[in-house]
Order: sequence, then C-alpha cells, then structure tokens
Amino acid sequence: MEASKEVGEMPPVIVSKKCECCGQCVEACQCDVFFGSKKAEVPQITYPEECWHCNACVEACPMKGAIKLRIPLPMMILFKRFAKKQIPDYTD
Amino acid sequence: MKGIRLKTKRIETDVLCIGGGIAGLMAAIRAAECGSRVLVVEKANTLYSGSGGLGNDHFMCYIPEVHGPDVELMIDEFQRGQQGGLRNRSFIRTWLENSFEIVKLWDNWGIPMKYKGQYEFAGHALPGHILMNLHYAGANQKKALTQQALKRKVTILNRVMCFNLFYDEGGVCGAIGINTREDEIFIIRSKSVVLGTGSVMRLYPASTPAWMFNTRLSPVCVGDGRTMAFRAGAELASIEIPLIRCGPKYFARAGKATWAGVLRDPSGKPVGPFVTKPDNKYGDPVVDIYQDIFIDFKKSGKGPVYMDCHGLSDEEFKYMLHWMKNEGNVSLLNYLKEERIDISRDPIEFWTYEYELFPRGGIYYNERAETSISGLYAAGDEFFGGISGAAVFGWIAGENGAAYARSHDFIESSVETQSKENESLFLQLRNRMEGPDWRETNIALQQIMWDYAGLVRSETLLEAGQRALFRLRKKAEKSMIARNSHELMRCLEVLNMIEIGELIFRTARERRETRGKHIRVDYPFTNPLSEKLLVVKKTEKGPALEWRQARK
Repeated sequence: MEASKEVGEMPPVIVSKKCECCGQCVEACQCDVFFGSKKAEVPQITYPEECWHCNACVEACPMKGAIKLRIPLPMMILFKRFAKKQIPDYTD
Repeated sequence: MKGIRLKTKRIETDVLCIGGGIAGLMAAIRAAECGSRVLVVEKANTLYSGSGGLGNDHFMCYIPEVHGPDVELMIDEFQRGQQGGLRNRSFIRTWLENSFEIVKLWDNWGIPMKYKGQYEFAGHALPGHILMNLHYAGANQKKALTQQALKRKVTILNRVMCFNLFYDEGGVCGAIGINTREDEIFIIRSKSVVLGTGSVMRLYPASTPAWMFNTRLSPVCVGDGRTMAFRAGAELASIEIPLIRCGPKYFARAGKATWAGVLRDPSGKPVGPFVTKPDNKYGDPVVDIYQDIFIDFKKSGKGPVYMDCHGLSDEEFKYMLHWMKNEGNVSLLNYLKEERIDISRDPIEFWTYEYELFPRGGIYYNERAETSISGLYAAGDEFFGGISGAAVFGWIAGENGAAYARSHDFIESSVETQSKENESLFLQLRNRMEGPDWRETNIALQQIMWDYAGLVRSETLLEAGQRALFRLRKKAEKSMIARNSHELMRCLEVLNMIEIGELIFRTARERRETRGKHIRVDYPFTNPLSEKLLVVKKTEKGPALEWRQARK
C-alpha cells in the first residue's frame, strides 16, 4: 500500500521531474492502479500489481518520458537468437 | 467497525448501458439516436476501457462487393470454424448482414476501416477459405465511440461499478452500483438495461500465476454482467466448456492472428501443416485451431514451440507491425524494442494463457440481443462474437432497448428493499477491521477452479471442488475486507467470480462427456447426442439446468 512516486518501483513508473500533474494517466487507467492520487500532484501508484501493461497511461500522458511501463520479470519474453551467419534459411 | 457510511445518489434514465466497451457504447449511441435518454455506467473510463481499450485489428464482416452476393456461403464457413455451432444460422445471418453497415459507420466516425483505400481481409482463416476478418485500424476506436456517444447526448458515468440489477416479475428496472473512488452508491432506475461488461478473466490462474492481472483480455472484465443477469433470473449458456488461447509466452496479450510468422519446433521445422513461410494473409492457422500443440509438444519432448517471423520482407514486416499497433499491442512492441528482441529475426516462444469462457459461455441472448428476461439486453463478450459481434449486437441491443423503453413505464418494484440488501453487503465489507482481502480470496478461487475444474474433470473432483467453493464463498461473505472503495470493487468482482465458478461446477457435473477443454476423464468421449447448449438459470430451488439445441 506504500505509494511509489519515483523511478525504480513496479510498473508504471513516473518521472516526477517531468510530470506536469495533469492527471491524464489517472483517468486513463482501467485498472485504477493510481487510486488515491490527488489532483494537481504527481500521481501515486497505489496498486502496481494490478497493472495490465496496456500502455493507456503512457498514451494519455502529454509529456513524453514522464511515465513509462516497466514490464515485470515474470512476463519476460523468451526467444532464440541466431548469430548472423547462422540465421536459418527456410526458403524452399 | 470503522463507522463508514455510504452516500447515495439516485438517477433515472430510459436505457441503462452497463459497461462502456464496444458493445455498451454502440448500444448507447443507437438508443440515443432512437430518442431515449441513455446512461452508460463504466467501471473505468470509456476512453480506454475494456478488452478493446487500446485497439483491435480484426472485424468479422460480410461485404457483398468482396464476398459475393450469397451470405449463406459465409455462414457455412463460420459454422465450420472455432465459434461454429454455438448459434443457429439465423443468428449468424443477422450478425453478418448487419456488419457492413457498422463498418461504414465506423469509417465515417474516424475509425479507419480501409487500408490504402481498400477493404483488406486477412487473418483467422485457412488457406484457400473465405477471409471473413476485415483488417481495420482500431487504435482510436474507444475515443471515437465515446465521442459519438457524447455527441448524441449520452450521459457517461465513469468509475462506477454496477453490482446488481433491480428486477421483479415485470422485468428489470435498473441497477445498483458503487463509486469505485469514494464511498458512494448509485441507485439507478431505468426502463431497460443493456449489459456489455465483457469476458471473464481472473477466474482461472494466469499463465504467470503470481501475476494475476497478466491476462489475455482486460483483467477487470470478470463476468459482472453474467452474474448480474443470472441473479436477476436470466439464462446463461455453455459456461462449463472453457477455452484457451495462445500468444507470446508469459506476456499475455490477444492478437495471435496478427503474427505473420510460422510456428516452428526448436529445429526449425514447422509444427503445423498449413504454412512453411511467413504469410501476412493467413499467418499460421495453427494458432487458431490447435492450441493444445504447445502442451502436446512439451509433453512429448519436442517443445518449445516458436513463433518465427523470419523471412518477411521489410515491407511485409512493417505491415505486420502496423496491425499489431492497431491491435493495441504497443506495450509489447515497446518492450521488445527495449530488450532488443528483433521479432523479424528472433523466434519467440508462444504458449497458451488462462482458461476463459469467451466466446463459448455467457448470457444467452438472441438475435434481437434480448436475454430471457424482459427489458434486459446483452451484447459483446457477454457471450459471443468478438469485436464485430459486440458492435453489431450492441447496436441491435440499443435499438431494441430503446423501443422497449418507449413502450414501458418505470416498474414500481422493490428497488428500495433490493438496494438495502446490497448496501448492507457493501457496508459490511467496508467496515470490517480484519480478514482476507479480495486478492487472497481471488487466489483461493483460482486454485480451486484450476485444481477441480481445470485440466481434468471428473464427478468426484467436481463434487469436491463445488463443496470447496461453497465454503470459500461463505468465508468470503463473512470475512472479506475492503480498505477503500477500490478494494470494495475488487471484493464485489471476486464474489461475482465465485458465483460463476459455482455455476461452472454445477453445469460441468451435468455435462457427462468430454467436449473441447471440458475434459471429463470419467466420460472420455465426445457424445454427438450432447452437441447441445446447457442452459442454467436461477430458480427458488437453486440453479435449474436445461439442454437446448444449438444448431438449426
């Protein structure tokens, strides 16, 4: 329940210095992770674990870079990487 | 006790739309055009809410100039597909015949339905078969629909969750809701109600069980509409047969059919029979028709299975990204970029997500979007049809809901008594000092659903699970706490999900056969005689079940 206002906490992440406290992200979020945020203040992320990582807050923010998502480790994408010359040629 | 009280706000309207997603907004727009006073009640904010909140890119539709004059051919194709057999031909015909009109409306409203000036069909199809899904650029769809609703003087009430319908023998007559941001209840009287609250996520564990909100569709769509409808006496159908969907492993997201790559095993061999090269038109149909491949390959030592887009030209790759953005997958694309994962070159693992009901189980509404009780309509992921189904049947629900409101007065029913019962529950949840919160209860629910009505089912397991869930409900009702109005909303969601869970146990015991992911190890074969809908509704003696023919 501790409000996290600064970079480094769980998603989403707000950069206080860049935030203009317009509250657009608070209005956009369908999971209401910003519940309890006060008008004209940097929004607080009260329920980070309820984030869907849908990007609505980022899209709604008028200040580029003031809010971003950090995708939690359990959601990491698993992939294979080939060295350039080893990229298989599937053309048949 | 904390001494918390709830303020009360009373509202009257002709048509009440519960849920401001695609279905709810389309219903609202149409009802307002038909002259009704319309109120949309939305748990979040209609600008971004619902499973289509950030966009979509496939719209099932029949366009005569593209598909030819005979809609029956497309109905045949539909009935052969994964959603086939759930609805009769007349229902599918109504949907398809109305779809093109909606396409034209959306295009006029600023949702681009054409690509480079043409109708572009791709995805969710087998090579050589009819392409039924129009590629459209839906990234702004919720903003455009909200704007159209406001233009027609629809009132939108954001951050309010409806929890129960008011009803009596005459039909429904409104709903009670809570403000999700402060201690306040809304008592809404209406002449008709349209439900459009979406699918049921968070009932079964996510593919990342510790990360509950990592769901394919919106994690706040949890079946509020289904439970409201059921408690008011409406019929639900087919909720016992779950479905699974696939996509990028661990990053749960709809949109699998927008991936143009080939599903391959670790050696690079295609796992399916359909494609050997990436294909923007068809993608790899395995993602739609053989979702068990991921677990089957794992079990047989051949996994994992990769989605491999290597081989697309630059232009083809850009085309795929264009649709992914419109599908609302910008956060996924941003993540890939940050992690320097290049999907034009790096194969990524695909896997299945949580068990879900949509599009197989939900409120049984007919082609007029009527439920089985008077004045109550439903559309969209309440049962069936995806984006286009939501748009078309939302529209129809709005039109018929408005007509109903014109010909009916407000019902003088027991609104006050029903409000008091609900208010008492809200107050108990808000005023308790200690006990489990919604999260704890939701986790317990998911465990029971997965262990007793998940991968395998049997009479003894289902019976035990049903008992376990009954006890969980009793405990939750008696002891759950809500620290604030946000948590009150989550508590009510969990109570709704438990109710759906109990109905799943009840109906799964009745379906004594195996069908799809309803795997009864004590009845291991699919019985052609049971190719019917199992309908459940509330009676004084408890839930009553009825078998009904689906395909006519």
